[in-house]
Amino acid sequence: MSTTAPRPDERADARYSRPDASMSLLTNVVEHSLDDGYADEARRTGRYGSSRLPTTLRGKLVLGLGIALVATILSMGVSQVQQNAPVAAKQRQELIDRINQTTTTADGVQQQVGQLESQLDQARRNAVSAPDTAQLDELELVVGTTPVSGPGIQVSVDDAASAGTDLNNASPRAGAGFSNTGRVRDSDLQLVVNALWQSGAEAIAINGQRLTNLSAIRAAGDAILVNDHPLTLPYVLQAIGGPGLEQSFQNNAYGGLYLGQLKQNYQIRYGVSAQGGLSLPAASVGPLLNAHPSPSEGTKRP
Amino acid sequence: MIAVLGLVLGVVVGLFVQPDIPAAWVPYLPIAIVAALDAVFGGVRAMLDGIFSDKVFVVSFLSNVVVAALIVFLGDQLGVGSQLSTGVIVVLGIRIFSNAAAIRRHLFRA
Repeated sequence: MSTTAPRPDERADARYSRPDASMSLLTNVVEHSLDDGYADEARRTGRYGSSRLPTTLRGKLVLGLGIALVATILSMGVSQVQQNAPVAAKQRQELIDRINQTTTTADGVQQQVGQLESQLDQARRNAVSAPDTAQLDELELVVGTTPVSGPGIQVSVDDAASAGTDLNNASPRAGAGFSNTGRVRDSDLQLVVNALWQSGAEAIAINGQRLTNLSAIRAAGDAILVNDHPLTLPYVLQAIGGPGLEQSFQNNAYGGLYLGQLKQNYQIRYGVSAQGGLSLPAASVGPLLNAHPSPSEGTKRP
Repeated sequence: MIAVLGLVLGVVVGLFVQPDIPAAWVPYLPIAIVAALDAVFGGVRAMLDGIFSDKVFVVSFLSNVVVAALIVFLGDQLGVGSQLSTGVIVVLGIRIFSNAAAIRRHLFRA
């Protein structure tokens, strides 16, 4: 190495230890931003400070080669980006189109389902003769597959105030567990529903869930499920029945009397009121997969 | 003259010939671009400093691209993913900035 021009960092290192020695990595990167090879090469050829563009043919060729390489890489990058950007936008557009298409198809199919259901209903009515149509309507009411309206009573049952389920947006899951004696249990609702049937109710719904012969009232976790739908507080039981229903329910051992006991012992809140016009929704009964009419008894009706 | 020819040739090759890059090499293209920019700025600064050398220009460019690609490859193999390429970008970015600042001082005396 020639000694014509000492490197700046060598000079600095010799005089004092740098105060920013702990940041030597960053300092190194910043101070050696230019390849040291340039300075070494210039010193070796003795043209430090005067070596600008190459003058020899060989030097010009090498420089041309280097510039060609750099230009190739840069323009390749540009073309790569330009190729990829439309592809990404195109893929996105294709996905959006597919979503829209599928949504339209689903809407169409849904409409078709509605039409077919009404056709099926019509066909069923056409298939049975006139006196049987009334029987079909009645059976649908009994089974719970049609909405029903009529006079009846409304029984609302709620946890005791001390159970702490009034907060939390009336979600029974967030409150105390069933070990809390102030909470209405699934067995309480079962007994009350039994009392309603016993008192002459013809159709019952709990919080809008119509009870059918496939319904179950059960507890799961901290919630009561009817028709596998979790209920929120308060539990509102609507029952359609004749004018004697309320009186009969209030005197039933598992109706009004039982609820009165619960209120007295556990501060569970309840209320029974007669309603002039209740309307209960239809139950959504899924298809039965395994139950078939048995051949010998199938057409007989009691 | 030859340098200008090389520039035109490189742009033509990159834009119009569009050599097929193998899919496995695509992640290295951005790194190669940054290394190329670093070489360009370094070369211009060296020219203004009066210490330019065509040999150093080509060799430093090639070695920077190769080393940067190796670091990224190593990161992929070690499972640190893009962090190592971030390191490469940071170091080369700092170099580009300080070289650009030196070029600015040469050109505008400020």
